[in-house]
Amino acid sequence: MQQIEEVAGQLPRGEIAFRAEGVKKHYPGVRALDGVDLEGYAGEVVAVCGANGAGKSTFAKLLAGVDTPTDGEIRVTGYPHAIRNAAEAEQAGVLMMHQEPLIIDDFTVGENVWLYKLRQGRDIRPWATKVDTNSEETRRVLRDIGLGHLRTSQLARDLGPGQRQMLSLSRALVTDHKIMILDETTASTSEEHFNDILDLVKREKAAGTCIMFVSHRLNEVFAMSDRIVVLRNGRLVDVVAAADSDPDHITTLMIGEALKALARPAPAQTEGKTPVISVRDVYGGAARGVSLDVAPGEIVGLYGLVGSGRSSVARTITGQRSAASGTIAVQGEAVHLTSPRAALSKRIAYLTEDRRLEGFVKDFDNGENMTLVVLPRMAKAGVVDAPREKSRVRELIQEFQVKGGPKTFTRTLSGGNQQKVVVAKWLEADPDLVVLDEPTKGIDVGARANIYETIHALAARGKAVLVVSSEAEELLSLCHRILVMRNGRIVKEFDPEHADTDDLIRTALTHQD
Amino acid sequence: MTSSNTLPPVHQYEEEEYSRGRAIANWLKGQYALYILVAILLVATITKGAVFWSGTNLTNLLLQMSIIGVVTLAELIVVLTGGIDISVGSALGLAAVLAAGLFGGPSVLLALVVALAVGGVVGAVNGWLVAFRGLEPFIVTLGMLALARGLVYAYGNGIPITPKAAGTFSDLGQTTILGLPVLAIIWLVMVLLIGFLLSRTVWGRRVYAVGSNKEAAQSSGIPVRATLWSVYILAGLLVGLGGWMFLCRFGSGTSTAGNLLELEAIAAVVIGGARLSGGYGTVFGTVVGTIIFAVIANLLSLLNVSTFLQDAFRGALILVAVTLATVQLKRKKTIDSPQPATK
Repeated sequence: MQQIEEVAGQLPRGEIAFRAEGVKKHYPGVRALDGVDLEGYAGEVVAVCGANGAGKSTFAKLLAGVDTPTDGEIRVTGYPHAIRNAAEAEQAGVLMMHQEPLIIDDFTVGENVWLYKLRQGRDIRPWATKVDTNSEETRRVLRDIGLGHLRTSQLARDLGPGQRQMLSLSRALVTDHKIMILDETTASTSEEHFNDILDLVKREKAAGTCIMFVSHRLNEVFAMSDRIVVLRNGRLVDVVAAADSDPDHITTLMIGEALKALARPAPAQTEGKTPVISVRDVYGGAARGVSLDVAPGEIVGLYGLVGSGRSSVARTITGQRSAASGTIAVQGEAVHLTSPRAALSKRIAYLTEDRRLEGFVKDFDNGENMTLVVLPRMAKAGVVDAPREKSRVRELIQEFQVKGGPKTFTRTLSGGNQQKVVVAKWLEADPDLVVLDEPTKGIDVGARANIYETIHALAARGKAVLVVSSEAEELLSLCHRILVMRNGRIVKEFDPEHADTDDLIRTALTHQD
Repeated sequence: MTSSNTLPPVHQYEEEEYSRGRAIANWLKGQYALYILVAILLVATITKGAVFWSGTNLTNLLLQMSIIGVVTLAELIVVLTGGIDISVGSALGLAAVLAAGLFGGPSVLLALVVALAVGGVVGAVNGWLVAFRGLEPFIVTLGMLALARGLVYAYGNGIPITPKAAGTFSDLGQTTILGLPVLAIIWLVMVLLIGFLLSRTVWGRRVYAVGSNKEAAQSSGIPVRATLWSVYILAGLLVGLGGWMFLCRFGSGTSTAGNLLELEAIAAVVIGGARLSGGYGTVFGTVVGTIIFAVIANLLSLLNVSTFLQDAFRGALILVAVTLATVQLKRKKTIDSPQPATK
């Protein structure tokens, strides 16, 4: 930590790397950016923070040329004119690291490292030899990024989400660039990879790269950046030096007022009640003999590192995958959950970790997505009662404070608002057990508070809740009990009142059976 | 919710209060198929106006459209799920010859039952392989294309099969109600039926959900496989109906009945704006696509263009329309976030 503070204490130096002037971006019905002026300097890390839909991802996309501004322009030093598309941005030296890592599943690890060499348009000689993907340099690059244990000939499809993200980051070491954008890059990596990212950023800084870090995780923002830019509703609110600020200050700037501390959940009365779900000795995926109970009105947290089996447990008890052995009882009655549909009929809802892939339908608007699960209930003889659906959707949008109307496509919303739509969809089915896998992944503080309150309200109404998370802090403030997993087993149970982040991480990393 | 004081003000959303005029204008923006149709109709009016708009020609046009129109609807629902059915032409041929030949073809109604059964079975086999065995729709229906066509040839030894009641069939094919041919009325009823199913029912919503995002549909508790199967069965029934209509129009089941119909059906669906990867497309667009192809064929015949060149024209039109579709999609894509490059 000492070292990190020292890095953050450095003042912005070097020349201007990019300059955005009066940048506006309007989508139909939404002003994502409304006139932003910003400069980035060589050799500094500038963090862009903001609540849901504040425009930070939009700004990153404009800088990378993925989108073009409605008005205003972005210039990169050394490039003759304003950036108009992704190819120009790349030529100008902008390297974008997307939230979802760009990995080709059927390529090997080595080929993925050198992927961008394939797209260099200048060299179109068909007889040009391709880069040796098993060279000493490839292996050095992988070691530097903390993936030294992988074989270069291994297929990328076998990697976990954290490893995929790091693999895509490895390209920073083999490309020439002046600006590197990390768009929520830490969202799908867990805490163990963060140090590797920090090392990478330090190295890039020393080499004079301007790094733009878009993130919701304020502790990481402070560990990494020199300057912090705060956006709110598409406008630049303030630019502060990281050394002169603290997370509370930034949070206040982001949402316009101070965020009240999350209250502990009311204690659950679980004595003598039949557990909503009772899992005994279940094997499946990475889970190896897991037993747990969740009582009505109780919020149970499941903590573990990536690959510890926490998601396997969640997927097994919600019918996303079949259990290889063991028993699952719902309300005291043994069940066989073979599909999500079977789980749903037992009143079990599952909010998946991968929102884009499994959470909502990309061609559906908010209304259609929200009623996806309960549609048969809104229909007579298979025909949808359209007025009833419409009025219910309006109520839900109001209740969950979704930004956007019933006819807005869910895919155009920010991550937090998408998650609100998904939460609304599942709660509409009135489940007895709600399983949430990384419910706040890629979501900012404002929407987080919203989702935490929803979870507390669920428990208060007597529902059982199981939260799977890789953020220890989140579970400590949210749950009644926390179970820590390691190597497919639940190794220890914690009472959040008498535990801290350190206990959880230590147990997850090193607990001996 | 009690959290309102801790949250940023909810952004005022502007799209809600569209005026009706703006909504229509917005809708018109995407209807490039409609513009192609208008352009073609203009050309028709200018070059052969008097003949083209005559009663006989319009009736003829409607008759031409009806059969292909029913088949395009079948293709549409399959395409909406992200699949493709290239066996529609062969299945139509099989339904037609079996309806004509089985039991000797004594009655129109019996033939209808046979044709629907044949189409339904073909669709059920396709759908079962796609939905429950997880095979690629293209490969499954490619096999079915060859299988069904082979059976058609084998059944009739290449000779057209005329049902006993051939006269009744032809009479039905030529009957008009209020100036509309019966076959065209059947087509229109099917258009309304499929339109209703897709836009107003739970089943229709599921079809779009499965086509757009199978994983999300699955984890939302939608019976994905049953939905897929039902789509292929319904498509098969429509194709069977098409085979029976073929019999009514031509009086006999020829071994080339429905040959290459799949090309036209897929092209009409695509020109109508449906996306081959699924989840997007409308009955209205498909109907417009169908009309475009029928009008072009009709116009080219009126202009005495050789049949070989007619095929070339149709092919060129597909290319033009598909290109137009990408222009439109590109504009839309700027709203989407970039998709991760998989596959």
